[in-house]
Amino acid sequence: MIFSSTRRVFGMILGVALAAGLAAPAEAQKRQNTIRFAYDQVPENVDPYFNNVRIGVIIAHQVWDTLIYRDPKTNEYKGQLATAWRWVDDKTLELDLRRGVKFHNGVEFSADDVVYTLNFVANPANRSTTQSNVNWIDRVEKIDAHKVRIITKRPFPAAIEYLAGPIVIHPAAYYEQAGPKGMNEKPVGSGPYRVVEHQIGRSITLQRNPDYFRDGPKPQPQIERIVIRFIPDRQTQVAEMLSGGLDFVMNIAPDQAQQMRAVPTLQIVSGGTMRIVFLNLATTERSPAPQLRDLRVRRAIAHSIDRQTMARQLVGEGSQVINAICFPTQFGCDASQAMVYDYNPAKARELLAEAGFPNGFELELHAYRERNQSEAMINYLRAIGIRATLRFGQYAAMREQIRAHRASMAHQTWGSFSINDVSASTPVYYKGLDDDISRDPKVIELLERGDSVTDPQQRIAAYREAHKIITEQAYSVPLYNLVTFYAAARDLEFKAYPDELPRFWEMRWK
Amino acid sequence: MFNYTLKRLALAALVALAVSALAFVLLRLSGDVAIAIAGEGARAEDINAVREQYGLDRPLVVQYFDWLGRTLQGDFGQSLYFRTPVFDLIVTKIQTTLILAVLSIGFALALSIPLGVMAAVWQNSWIDRLCLWIAVAGQALPNFFFALCLVMVFSIGLGWLPVSGADSWEHFVMPTVALGYYVTPPFMRLVRAGMIEVLGADYIRTARAKGLPASTVILRHGLRNALVPVVALTAVQLGFLLGGSIVIETVFALDGLGYLAYQAISQKDFPVIQAVLMLLSVGYVLLTLLADLVNAWLDPRIRVG
Amino acid sequence: MSDIVQTNPVAAAVVPPSRFKRRVLRHKGLMIGSIIFAVIVLVALLAPFISPHDPYAQDLNNRLVPPVWYERGSWLNPFGTDNLGRDYLSRTLYGAQISLLIGISVMLISGTIGTALGLAAGYFGGRIDLVVTFIITTRLALPVVLVALAVVAMVGGTLFIVIAVLGLLKWDRFAVVMRSATQQVRSLDFVEAARASGASQLRIILREVLPNVMPHLIVVGTVEAASAILLEAALSFLGLGVQPPLPSWGLMISEAKNFMFFSFWLIAIPGAALALLVLSINMMGDGLRDVTAPDSRS
Repeated sequence: MIFSSTRRVFGMILGVALAAGLAAPAEAQKRQNTIRFAYDQVPENVDPYFNNVRIGVIIAHQVWDTLIYRDPKTNEYKGQLATAWRWVDDKTLELDLRRGVKFHNGVEFSADDVVYTLNFVANPANRSTTQSNVNWIDRVEKIDAHKVRIITKRPFPAAIEYLAGPIVIHPAAYYEQAGPKGMNEKPVGSGPYRVVEHQIGRSITLQRNPDYFRDGPKPQPQIERIVIRFIPDRQTQVAEMLSGGLDFVMNIAPDQAQQMRAVPTLQIVSGGTMRIVFLNLATTERSPAPQLRDLRVRRAIAHSIDRQTMARQLVGEGSQVINAICFPTQFGCDASQAMVYDYNPAKARELLAEAGFPNGFELELHAYRERNQSEAMINYLRAIGIRATLRFGQYAAMREQIRAHRASMAHQTWGSFSINDVSASTPVYYKGLDDDISRDPKVIELLERGDSVTDPQQRIAAYREAHKIITEQAYSVPLYNLVTFYAAARDLEFKAYPDELPRFWEMRWK
Repeated sequence: MFNYTLKRLALAALVALAVSALAFVLLRLSGDVAIAIAGEGARAEDINAVREQYGLDRPLVVQYFDWLGRTLQGDFGQSLYFRTPVFDLIVTKIQTTLILAVLSIGFALALSIPLGVMAAVWQNSWIDRLCLWIAVAGQALPNFFFALCLVMVFSIGLGWLPVSGADSWEHFVMPTVALGYYVTPPFMRLVRAGMIEVLGADYIRTARAKGLPASTVILRHGLRNALVPVVALTAVQLGFLLGGSIVIETVFALDGLGYLAYQAISQKDFPVIQAVLMLLSVGYVLLTLLADLVNAWLDPRIRVG
Repeated sequence: MSDIVQTNPVAAAVVPPSRFKRRVLRHKGLMIGSIIFAVIVLVALLAPFISPHDPYAQDLNNRLVPPVWYERGSWLNPFGTDNLGRDYLSRTLYGAQISLLIGISVMLISGTIGTALGLAAGYFGGRIDLVVTFIITTRLALPVVLVALAVVAMVGGTLFIVIAVLGLLKWDRFAVVMRSATQQVRSLDFVEAARASGASQLRIILREVLPNVMPHLIVVGTVEAASAILLEAALSFLGLGVQPPLPSWGLMISEAKNFMFFSFWLIAIPGAALALLVLSINMMGDGLRDVTAPDSRS
């Protein structure tokens, strides 16, 4: 009885408080034309090349510009800092640069900035964090003040996609003098917002860039100020939203988002993302669970998990079951010949018994996020007799275990850096690289071909065949894509995109 | 007094040394620094290169003294995650944590002294028991739960206090209560025991016999003497609070030392973990040293013993 | 240092058994605490027989069903179901096992270490005392939460690791109290007599000293068991405690905190269970302190 009355009391308090004007703080923000946003992780460095957290990507696109822009609505490429581009040969991309663009420190943008930035980050000695974003660049040459050529190490058809994603341009002179460290303390870019204050580990304040160039693909920003605070505990973020201390948060847990819909001062928006989830199985000779080397065991695992129900119940609206290890809109993500496993625990038990494990066996599941989904998978496995222990930790720790061949199963998620091409997803896990724990030579060869031939039809064919083998061999269980839930003050106008990138330059107060 | 001070100082130095060695070995045994430094995507040969470059292939003892030498010169090394000097990081974070710790101790004292005095004056009555319950009851909840309950009532429900951050004094109210409440019981017990002892002493009876009002006797004569051991406990608890604020700093998004430590732990940022551990331990050693000296100064009998 | 000098002026007077029994029975707090604790222990032992469902059996189509006292609740799941559709009552009942296991194992490990050190230091005095005092002081200077977190984070959080780490860290109070209690017992007549009769040191410690410091040991033990249970909850909050799907109360609380503002019962049920357990242990500890002290409130 106690609990029901506490809830009633709390509900009452909440109702009264909201009615009595907790909306007031949000009103004030509206008048000051500010958005207060919070994120749970602190970027190790705001320089986009020196962090690998989502908030880093978000800040990157507010403060900096890329050469090319991908319209999130049509997936069409548009010129941003570049105005036109063409492949001179299959390893040389020539770009014409926009004139009249100014960096936040007043310096005019030119070819030197592109040349310096890309040559700097492509040099492995400078240790930019995500090497795969830049290691396809061999060198960059200046043709004239507004024309450059990027020479790739090998034919790399996905280059355009990378130039529209993680690759931003720094002002050469400033970057040369300040370096990544100075860029973190006092960031300078050319984007719609400039950083006016960076209290490292605590907050970053962005101010509208009044000199942002017109007729680019990003419109002129409307909101005057964006205050980004770092609040580690999601629950605290929700409390801030409920009490009117924040205007915008993302990555709310689905159940909580559902419950927050009832709060009149808030709006909850959800959007499916490009981040896919899959259960990866170690099948090489060094696998810590030799049982997984038996195809029947792997197929049993694939049959044991009810992906449909997990997607619907745990991930939420906007989540789709996937049948290959890639996001369906990615170029080359052709799952038409992939083998699909239905939820069938009886069959799973049969397969296990056939493989000689009628009473199941024990192994470990490594995971680093969406712990409730790991937990659900463990329970599904338990139902067919496989007893999995959860090893939950930071991504880096999990990766370390995988690479040391100490992880038999990994609950992986992959966002492809929002790159809409399969070269950014499937090969990461199946092309014989460090995170590949099945290492099938045939698959490696097919992915190699898909990544390097230029003819689109040949690329697709190669990838299709790779997906077929991966699923037939059940090297992993493809699950679904994740959904991001955003909570915002009711009067904030914004749109959610699959790339999990809030575009503050598009937002405005109603 | 001089000899005593010297002896205590030597002991403190020895303890600090032992703690630093222990912390060093413990961290080294539980994780591979080279892998952490080499970072994501590092291959075996990269990791070996790091191991050589940083001298991690040397015996642990040699590494320890090398680290100790540099630490004593004020060089705490570089943060692996933030890639800035650890010293700078700590300097920017320590203020928040110190403020929180001092406020929490203040809150604990403000709560426990009256409770302790009341409990002692009305010893063994229902008031005594009530006072104990006030000090202890909430502690049966994990403190993050208690903290979130405060948020639920005072921020969401009543809208009186901001949920998180460290920009104004209002931001510190709930963290102070949530942290301070958890160190209240030892103070309360100590004050109560001290008061009971003091109230039974001869000079209090004399004062009473002289007809001084009860409140004067209790507050002027009794409390002053009962508080001596509290000084020592304060020092000890301050050290405890500095280490115990991890959870509270995380809940209230206070960007202090505790949160830095938590972050460093999740990121395997060894130099930072080591420095924070060292700092807290040495801080504790110094505080207890200080408490001992103050006590010796207040009570000459200790010096002899 | 201060801690050691100052903690617990121990009263060594031994209360005769008959009076002791009367004191125990007349001490309300002690009795209530013991009864609650006994019930929780019973629940833990009987969990497999009284749980209505398998605590691990999930039903994703039947998630977050509220308890029976809500409108939407039903007797099928009297405490409702959690976010994976598992029966919350069953998980709460099984949770008693895990939380008790943590509290008691940590207490046993740390109690053994601390008592051994404290007895040795208190009984032998001199150089041994100096060394033990030094070890205790060093241990006190290490911040428990931080060290526990760091080690668990590096090694990985499993039930075994959490118990081992907490057990190896939390012996300080045992050592401090045992040391000063032993110091006082050491010079008592019967110990002197045993020594004079030529009994071995070990025999004296185990036969004469230990039984006489036992009451203090039990009091410290209760405090430490309660604090270990709470520490596990704090570790769970930071994601480094016992791993799911094990149903520890600490873990249930930290998982339910996501639902705290909207489905308060999810956190209130394990929260209340944990609070009851901790309170009952503390009441037993306080009660034992009272009944074993010579100036008892009886």
